[in-house]
Amino acid sequence: MFETRGLRSGYDNLEVLRGVDLSLAEGELVALLGANGAGKTTLLRTVSGLLRPFGGTVRLDGRDIGGLPAEKVAAAGLAHVPENRLVFPSLTVTDNLALGAWTRPRTRAEDIERMLDLFPRLRQRLGQPAGTLSGGEQQMLAIARGLMARPKVLVLDEPSLGLAPKVVGDIFAALARLRHELTILLVEQNARAAFKVADRVLVMDRGKIVMSGTPEELADDAQIKQAYLGGGF
Amino acid sequence: MADLLQFVVAGLAQGGAYALIAIGFVSIFAVSGVINLAQGEFAALAGLCAISAAGAGLPLLPALLVAVAVVAAVAIAIERLAIRPVRRMTTLTSIILTLGVSTALKAVMLLIWGPQGHTLRAFPGSDLTVAGVSIRAQELWILAACALVGGAVWWFYERTLHGKALRACSEQPVAARLIGISLTKASLVSFGIAGVTGAVAGVVTSPIYSSSWEIGLTLGLKGFVAATLGGLLSVRGAILGGILLGVLENLVAGYVATGLRDAVAFVVLIAILLARPGGLVKHTEARV
Repeated sequence: MFETRGLRSGYDNLEVLRGVDLSLAEGELVALLGANGAGKTTLLRTVSGLLRPFGGTVRLDGRDIGGLPAEKVAAAGLAHVPENRLVFPSLTVTDNLALGAWTRPRTRAEDIERMLDLFPRLRQRLGQPAGTLSGGEQQMLAIARGLMARPKVLVLDEPSLGLAPKVVGDIFAALARLRHELTILLVEQNARAAFKVADRVLVMDRGKIVMSGTPEELADDAQIKQAYLGGGF
Repeated sequence: MADLLQFVVAGLAQGGAYALIAIGFVSIFAVSGVINLAQGEFAALAGLCAISAAGAGLPLLPALLVAVAVVAAVAIAIERLAIRPVRRMTTLTSIILTLGVSTALKAVMLLIWGPQGHTLRAFPGSDLTVAGVSIRAQELWILAACALVGGAVWWFYERTLHGKALRACSEQPVAARLIGISLTKASLVSFGIAGVTGAVAGVVTSPIYSSSWEIGLTLGLKGFVAATLGGLLSVRGAILGGILLGVLENLVAGYVATGLRDAVAFVVLIAILLARPGGLVKHTEARV
């Protein structure tokens, strides 16, 4: 449903992705782990069109979207919720959500309601500028804004970054509710949380996918335990 | 007292024109970080186009609309031909680039309309005197145009989804692209807005200040100072900056020396850059 083949990408002369092959089935939630600098964010930036691939293909529903500019990729049905949330600070929560439906304005009102069901905390904040929200609320808003486009694939970059455990719990609960409704690729440092919601886990190292398996399989792997889960998982 | 009021009234009208030019600077800069030095030429070109259209027998309103349409089209063409092809645009690059565009526009205007100044016939209405202060009808037209166009631009950014999309591009360009908003289209629209506001300023001021190929330089610089007063990112700031500059210029010209009028803008610019580089308006996260 969503796949990359031999995807190579990076910045100027620096190649970060050195041939990434991944494939997500429809409705699958896949967590992507890896150390800092492994290329996770670069991978997301490349599939969403913020970076031009050096080579390889990106296919969404059989359509080649590799090399399309970001706004076209968004219209093709891939929503990228970027690292650090990047909400529009002076615009209200309602406006942020409304703009999320830029590519499909007809379902805007109905989808804002759906998002408020998914993240009830946003309901009390509707008229507030997004810049005044807490970090957790901004993350919820960023995810909701991405979902407003009714994407086929949602890619999330570190949604738990810098957030309190309670809020991380709320966000992962929302992701669990979205499971099987759409295809999700989740980059996450918080491996424990990611293992609980993921159907499958991929591990990335130095620009390649080096391991793949169900959370149960990988949780038994000594290396994974050591590197990502710590003791006592 | 009557003197003071007289200077303020004249200043308000002139400031209204600066405000419209300043809105053009803000509209473009907020979206793409481009400083468009051809902004003043938009006003000059519009004034000259309106004069030619009126000379060809068109009534004032259609002549104004023709001028606005021509200048908006020129602005959009500039964006496509000179701004968009640049792969890594920086503010400095944009200044050099639009300086070139401005020079080219001036040359074209000089070729078509010649070196002498032209004046559009005054808009209808008679001058009035209120409490010893004489107000020219044209000054009221300028203020009305500023209120109408400035208000419309403000409404566009604050109340419409398309305006909010432009603000989104200005605040978080990456996130804007990720939800499907095209930055290239946003930049095109911002040039269109700048073309319209600059053109209106050029047409309504033409009956008083006259139009020629070279007025764009002063008008553009004054508009730029006004926009800087407002912090370069706020439409409201640009309007206030324009009015403030216009009034200040007329007070200095009236009480100190007429010859100092054009120096005011630059003294103000230097003072602002030294004391409050972020503009006079209190800085919030809001842009545009």
